[in-house]
Amino acid sequence: MTFLNQILAFGAAAFAIPLVIHILNRSRFKQVEWGAMHLLESVIKVNHRRFQIEQLLLLLIRCAIPIMLALCLARPVLTGATALEGDAPVSLVVVLDTSYSMDTIDTSGTRFEHAVEAACDIIESTGRGSEINVIMTGGKPTLLFDQPLFDSAALVRRLRQQQAGLGASDMQGAIDEALATMAGMTQARRELVIISDFQPADWSQIGDESSIRQQLETLSITPVLTLLPVGSPVNENVTVDAINFPQRAIGVGQQVDVRGTVRNHGLAPVEKVRVVMRVDGEEVDVSQITLGANSSTQVLFPCSFETAGSHTIEISASADDPLITDNRMAAAFNIWDTITVLLVDGDPSGQPLKGETDFLSIALTPFTFGRVRLTDLVETQTVNPTEVNEELLQSSRVVVLANVAKLDDKQLTALTAYVEQGGALLVTAGDRLDLNWYRERLFADGAGLLPAPFGAMLGQIDGERATARIVAERFDHPTLEFFNTPANGDLSKAEFRRWMKLEQIEQSATQDDETNSVLARLDTGDPLLLERRVEQGVVIQLATTCDADWNDLPLRPFYVPLMQQLVTTMASGLMPPRNIATGDQAVAILSGTEPGSTLSMLTPDGSRRTLQTVTEGNAELARFDRTQRPGIYAMSLPSTETIHFVAETSRSESDLATLNDTSLKSLSESLGSSMVKSSDEYLRQDQLRRHGQEIWRYVLVGFLSLMVLELVLQQRFSGVRV
Amino acid sequence: MAHVSDVLTSQDIGKFANLQVLARQIVEGFCNGLHRSPHKGFSVEFKEHRSYVNGDDIRTIDWKLFGKTDRLYIREYEEETNLRCTILLDSSGSMSYTGSRSDGVSKHDYAVRTAAALAYLMLHQQDSVGLVTFNDAVQKYIPPRARPRHLRTIIDELKRQEPERETELGDVFHQMVAKIQRRGLLIIISDLFSDVNQLMKSLAHFRHANHEIIIFQIWDPDELDFPFRQWTQFASLEAAANRHLVDPAQLRRAYLEKLEVFREQLAKGCNRHRISLVPMTTDQPYADALAAYLALRRKST
Repeated sequence: MTFLNQILAFGAAAFAIPLVIHILNRSRFKQVEWGAMHLLESVIKVNHRRFQIEQLLLLLIRCAIPIMLALCLARPVLTGATALEGDAPVSLVVVLDTSYSMDTIDTSGTRFEHAVEAACDIIESTGRGSEINVIMTGGKPTLLFDQPLFDSAALVRRLRQQQAGLGASDMQGAIDEALATMAGMTQARRELVIISDFQPADWSQIGDESSIRQQLETLSITPVLTLLPVGSPVNENVTVDAINFPQRAIGVGQQVDVRGTVRNHGLAPVEKVRVVMRVDGEEVDVSQITLGANSSTQVLFPCSFETAGSHTIEISASADDPLITDNRMAAAFNIWDTITVLLVDGDPSGQPLKGETDFLSIALTPFTFGRVRLTDLVETQTVNPTEVNEELLQSSRVVVLANVAKLDDKQLTALTAYVEQGGALLVTAGDRLDLNWYRERLFADGAGLLPAPFGAMLGQIDGERATARIVAERFDHPTLEFFNTPANGDLSKAEFRRWMKLEQIEQSATQDDETNSVLARLDTGDPLLLERRVEQGVVIQLATTCDADWNDLPLRPFYVPLMQQLVTTMASGLMPPRNIATGDQAVAILSGTEPGSTLSMLTPDGSRRTLQTVTEGNAELARFDRTQRPGIYAMSLPSTETIHFVAETSRSESDLATLNDTSLKSLSESLGSSMVKSSDEYLRQDQLRRHGQEIWRYVLVGFLSLMVLELVLQQRFSGVRV
Repeated sequence: MAHVSDVLTSQDIGKFANLQVLARQIVEGFCNGLHRSPHKGFSVEFKEHRSYVNGDDIRTIDWKLFGKTDRLYIREYEEETNLRCTILLDSSGSMSYTGSRSDGVSKHDYAVRTAAALAYLMLHQQDSVGLVTFNDAVQKYIPPRARPRHLRTIIDELKRQEPERETELGDVFHQMVAKIQRRGLLIIISDLFSDVNQLMKSLAHFRHANHEIIIFQIWDPDELDFPFRQWTQFASLEAAANRHLVDPAQLRRAYLEKLEVFREQLAKGCNRHRISLVPMTTDQPYADALAAYLALRRKST
């Protein structure tokens, strides 16, 4: 127990006053010669013992009265075992949920408004010299200020400017960030407050909450963790859950079927939901649907693009629900102009499908070949190796050397120059290859274009059964990412009867890890597809043929998309993804941009930010980190071209249920935290923790009670006893 | 030689003069028809006629004179008494208490003055007055005499009295019954601080001897309301070793209750034996108290 006015506590010594009065009274008594002694004596005789007890009791009460008064004035405070100075500065980290679910509106505003209000209350109550920071969980955990701030007013001002509506919360990441921030703070008292709507989805990702507790305990000073839930559970919510569109490269004029999945989380059906499709911000199609209770519907919007370049589509559903942030979803496309592919056929044939590049040609131009009135993205030109010249190379976007024995020096020089200037080269294996030329000239101990020299032929071409298959794995390279979705085909079904060993690949990989990478392997362990970046260009090496001689790839349904992806990816250089998750970095590789150029980025909240390009290797890159808010980000290049990125988040938070009291309690227990319902309660608890509980009111009641008791007893004790 | 003025102030004597007149009025029936002689069996001598006024007892109308004069007259008599009065004055230690509000007059002083006043009054009415002073035993017995000079004897004795020793009313009164053989009026002036039962027995003894008894019980106001506040050591006036250090505030109500019981017992006892008990406090002028008594006496007869 401590006192706020400690000096006044010494007033308790005033208890001596009644004692002294009592003693003085007894010693400085009056003497009376008394006549009616026979009356007095009988009274004294009967009540002597009682008088003594009563006197003692009254004396005790009278002594207690000044003590109580002094205690009351000294403002006593009940504290725990660790008494801290009341207004000592504190290191405070507020984890503020800025995810889109915090935009949910209830009767008195959005959840986020309540959360900000609570956070501001808590921050404003901190003592002078406290260092504070706020971590916003939405999309990607982000610090409000890079360094903890000592100026709570500035922090509150900034905090009030914040908006929710960011991507889904990454609670684990936010807590990690909070702990890292806290580790760098200096005050002896650490407090961590999590203000969120506590949706089950946010916390189910964490799995074992007690690990967070252990994390907290590993800090040199364990922070006091407090959970402050805001908002109440809501059932009704209409969301656009997903946009499905073809993952393949899309060309100008090609029809694209875009499917939007609209979901009703509510328990009642929602009628007349207007679903709007926008292309580049222009409304192009509208559909009206009815959504059953807790069900979803797909809406199909066919569309095509008239110009090449970056485009966006957006599907939004207009419904009267408490959360409108998730009523839309967008996607970015890069629309290709025609891609000219030069097929250098090293094994031409007059018979259909017998030539080395026949299957490839068909796969790249299926509509033209099938005489369908649809536009092909790719335009092919097949030539003999001898026809290859500089002019032909320069007019092509991609060059394929299919089973070409060798090229002459002039052709090689032109090819090298072509690749180094940003050209794309696909080299496939075959029985015609001049292995020496490939090893010495095209590989040239790693100085040439080829990622690896072709080695011994493996497998049995006449064997009845397949000798190798592609290892089924998750593909990281944009070329093969498409096949990560099983519906787009299973690459591991292709059978390889023969392939060439790509030698020194291990050595090459270790020598030049950044430029060489294996895109796919066979289950024998041999690489199947190798990629190498040469200056601004790219070379991909296939360990087998691109026709059906050594494998059955051309007979598989995925051959067309595989080759299309391969060619379009190569044609576009390495294009980083345009559709990203909130919080991920938006990266654009810019060609023809001067180093250190300044670009501007228009974000979904309408603000425009500038960014500098950076040179990495041979490429000029633009990176943008602040993609926490779902929506369309438009990057304007100096060439007036615009690149669109779309950041979207998981719809796990669209179910607006929140953890119920029992779950919150158990979460709080496993985190080893305390839980408060409001900032006021937090402040009270904080007050209690810091100052303890002020008990002067109770002491005052005790004081007054003693006064009354003294009066009553005095009256009572002088009552009649005969 | 002692003089009445030694114990009575001139105002007192003046008051007594009035009282004497008043007493005479009582005896002579001078005031109105209500007032008859309080003493039965006394010889009465006709004095004069007086015009009837409203309120006179119609029994006193002289009908013969009415027959002669056709006017209403009432007959007035001069009373000739043979009252034998003995004043019993308590001189015990407890009578020496002097309270703060009694203007320095102790209970004993008050009792002496009352006794002197009564004696003066009686002797001026040609009644015979005697005096007994006592504490735990009879100190002095002066038999009743009706001579005016007897007053001096009584006053001398009164002046000599110093309150001391304990009170033993029961024994003293029993002794006195044998001494005062002729029936008459006994005036007891005391605080009666004694055992009530013993006292009542002795008073009954007096009554048995056909004595008329009036008790003037002398109280100091302090004894009636116990006004003490601070711690006080009460020392007995009758036994010096008897001391008690107490907080009077604590005792007060118990004391008052005890006092009430005591007074009630006295009042009941006196009532039972048809004894007039007149409580008097020393802060009230004793002459007033005397007058009040005489008025009471007048009404009761």
